[in-house]
Amino acid sequence: MDNSTVLPTLKKDKKESPASRILGKAGLYLILIVGAVIFIFPFFWMISNSLMTLGETITRQVWPKVPQWINYKEAWDGANFSKYFINSVAVTLGTLTGLLFTSILAGYAFGRIDFKGKDILFGLFLATMMIPESVTLIPNYLLIRGNIFPLPGGTWINTYWALTVPFMANAFSIFLLRQFFAQIPNELWDAARIDGCDHLRFLVQIVMPISKAPIMTVLLFGFTASWNAFQWPLLVTTRDTWRPLMVGLYGFVQEAGPYTHWLMAGAVITIIPILIVYFLTQKQFTQGIATTGLKG
Amino acid sequence: MESSKELIPTKSSSAFKKQARRDQITGILFTFPAFLIIFIFGIFPIGYSIYMSLFNWQVTKGPFIGDKNYLLIFGSWWNLLVLVAGLGLFVLGFFVWTRAFQSINNGQRLAHIAGALVLILGGVIFITGWGMMYETGNKDFLNSLIVTIYYALGTVPAEIILGLVLAYILYQDIIGKEAFRIIYFLPYITPSISTAVVFQIIFSSRETSLANTIIGLFGIDPLRWRFEPKPVLNLLGFDVSGLAGGPSLALVTIIIFGIWSFVGYNTVIFLSGLGNIPKEIYEAAEMDGASKWDRFWHITIPMISPVTFYLTLIGFIGTFKAFNHIYVMRTPSAQNTVVTTSLLVFDRFYKANQYGVATAQAIVLFVIILGLTLAQNKVLGERVFYG
Repeated sequence: MDNSTVLPTLKKDKKESPASRILGKAGLYLILIVGAVIFIFPFFWMISNSLMTLGETITRQVWPKVPQWINYKEAWDGANFSKYFINSVAVTLGTLTGLLFTSILAGYAFGRIDFKGKDILFGLFLATMMIPESVTLIPNYLLIRGNIFPLPGGTWINTYWALTVPFMANAFSIFLLRQFFAQIPNELWDAARIDGCDHLRFLVQIVMPISKAPIMTVLLFGFTASWNAFQWPLLVTTRDTWRPLMVGLYGFVQEAGPYTHWLMAGAVITIIPILIVYFLTQKQFTQGIATTGLKG
Repeated sequence: MESSKELIPTKSSSAFKKQARRDQITGILFTFPAFLIIFIFGIFPIGYSIYMSLFNWQVTKGPFIGDKNYLLIFGSWWNLLVLVAGLGLFVLGFFVWTRAFQSINNGQRLAHIAGALVLILGGVIFITGWGMMYETGNKDFLNSLIVTIYYALGTVPAEIILGLVLAYILYQDIIGKEAFRIIYFLPYITPSISTAVVFQIIFSSRETSLANTIIGLFGIDPLRWRFEPKPVLNLLGFDVSGLAGGPSLALVTIIIFGIWSFVGYNTVIFLSGLGNIPKEIYEAAEMDGASKWDRFWHITIPMISPVTFYLTLIGFIGTFKAFNHIYVMRTPSAQNTVVTTSLLVFDRFYKANQYGVATAQAIVLFVIILGLTLAQNKVLGERVFYG
């Protein structure tokens, strides 16, 4: 853009009248609101349809005349949702426990301890973030089936092990914690060491209590990743009783076919826990994302 | 360690050695659990995939067949060579265009002419190689690459532009900023399996489906959406067919879902990027009389470019990895027009039980992702302004 075009707009801008300023602002709000409506509409549609009779979903009402809460009960009983729900909760809790254990220890070591091979190891970890699941999926499947080397208990297909262990460490969580741990002032460590603290005690008694925010972020990302997982659980569970919610919902969708009201009730059931966690912690969530800029 | 030396000067050197040794042991012990899992499930499988791809591996390992699984993809190594040579020339042409003859008078024009020639040559050779490969290689795989590229081009730029616009507006003095941000981020956080179910209902092929009702308001006849394998251009009246005619309506429906679920993530990242631009620059520009538009175009865009670059990279890699929502939203009648490479690999493995073929395809996909990442680093990375 050369000056000849810049100058006129510049003059206009300076003499911007209050009326056009308000109009401009209204335009901005209009865009934001239209955006918000588009983003939220599918959720509204999900909820409203989940409360309709089948007839109402076909004639495409906007809101049910009488909310059919029974749909939720029917969907819940129709598929094995109570079992899926328990599985998802157990898998998520197990994964998170392992994830916290491995990533806090590794994050601390990479952030605060000097040891040989540290940089190479850290680089290796980071490189794994680029690898598509397509490449690791098939060997991992054979591994879990016990085909590559013998596993305790023979095969891990249809076990909690298969659903949790592979996700008990990831480079992203380690990276995130390392960044935070490395910033903790050295004076704290020196003081603790004079008092006879070793690394483990320093980590547990001093570092962890002041690192609640990044640990929380790791937990939140771990939670959504584990709760939303689909491809891997689909692969390593062959029996219905082992399936977590997402795979269960997928099976339910195949079966329920045209029964929109049940489908929507099922979908609502699967997202409620994540919505609760999100609304309770959304600030942490978006800040965690923004400061690390990394994908969960 | 430096500061501890100053603080505890009385410690003897043997005590330091002891501490160093203890650090070494602690470091290894602390990283070991994570290493074990990441190595077994993240690093070892890559090597094992390469190994598997060299065998006629159905459900169990068969005889060693060397490069046969790869030949199934490319047709012949010669095809691949031609394709890569074309690609190489293309890259060379790009460099000539931007770099060569800078020191000579009138060098730029010369560089552009030479660069254009090399670019055209590279393009022709690339297309020839592609044609040869399409003739003798695996059409399904090559088609899936085209679908993946359509999907990437359909989602990533739209997500970047919408994300930036929303973030820029939110960054102004807006009431209810927090509420908007929470809403925009919602689709990203909710499981795509669940939200894709709603999109299936909204974009169903029924005449009374919401999408069909809305286009009906504009006098358009009901469409088959997820079930429509015809290219969008064909539906608009152009005489094209097949994958060469552009993305199918079924793929576009999935693209719409992709954009919807990912824009919020870009918005949040852009928002934090905008917060890092020093206010003084805007103030100085305002004093110099720059209009709002000028400030956006000449300050925000260049200052935010590292974020844009990062999001583009993540976005493209993400589309090559994308699986869940495409898998759930695809329909048999959409045929191969929605099968991206990651779906194809999964089908080869999960449905057809051809593990060897599937791993070979996965490794080619991996190499493509690596190449794309490097290329984007080179091409976009140079244009990025790191303030």
